Amino acid sequence: MSKTATLAPAAPKPSFWRRWRFHLSALLLIVPIVYVPSYFENLALSRGLMGLGQRPAGDVLVGPWKLQFAEWKVEPPKSDPAGMVKTFTMAQCAGCQDQIRAVYLRVGKPRSLRAAGSIFFGSPHRAFATVPIPPRTAPDADLWITAEGWDGSVHQAPWPIATASPATVEWLKKQGASR
Amino acid sequence: MNAFFANALRAGLLGALLTASAGALAHNPMAECKPEGKEQIQCTGGFSDGSGAAGVTMDVISYDEQILVPGKLDADSKMTFKRPDGEFYVLFDAGPGHVVEIDHVDIQ
Repeated sequence: MSKTATLAPAAPKPSFWRRWRFHLSALLLIVPIVYVPSYFENLALSRGLMGLGQRPAGDVLVGPWKLQFAEWKVEPPKSDPAGMVKTFTMAQCAGCQDQIRAVYLRVGKPRSLRAAGSIFFGSPHRAFATVPIPPRTAPDADLWITAEGWDGSVHQAPWPIATASPATVEWLKKQGASR
Repeated sequence: MNAFFANALRAGLLGALLTASAGALAHNPMAECKPEGKEQIQCTGGFSDGSGAAGVTMDVISYDEQILVPGKLDADSKMTFKRPDGEFYVLFDAGPGHVVEIDHVDIQ
């Protein structure tokens, strides 16, 4: 009796899918690698290795205090349930930490200390404020910084949006053109 | 078939882990006012994470900084008041730096 006669018939030719699904699984591993650089960039930004923010926006003298500002991410305002918002970061001058109680930021001059805008929260070395940007804001408008001292003093300073965030100015211009 | 789902789950989890970033969880204050009938105005407050603002202060203030209607939001995070004469703004005040200002010209 021949041995070949007892062998099982040859396996059917694997289908296209069976042949390629292994390679597809490798693709699933490779696709996330595309996002790795931006992942590490985000991580470095969060850890402060890239400075105060993606784009340093200079110092502003508010009363006796020199505050250093940055645009957290170089991008137009983001959509939020509270409207279009933009995040800035701020560091207080060395030696000011014990004097400053709070720093606020808003578009346009505040009517009162109560309505001074969004508060900067975080450490004196890097505090965040997320400011609503009304879509009707003129591109040459100012953000206003309000700094409140522990001694009760309140100081204010304008900060042109063009200095704070050119990306926001571009966005506002487009908003104006679309209306 | 179960193995297929388990693998899909693992792949999805891996993707989620790789794309997750330390995005700040926003809880920005938000408020909106609309006229109710001819005389009344109804304002609603809340936060961008979806939570309500029952009991939070909402004041109606004239341009010369007189508080016309001192108010608190009810259990539905709403407040209704008679439209004051003259120029005013509504201030949703959930604490220092957590405010929303609505100008009277925007209430229509």
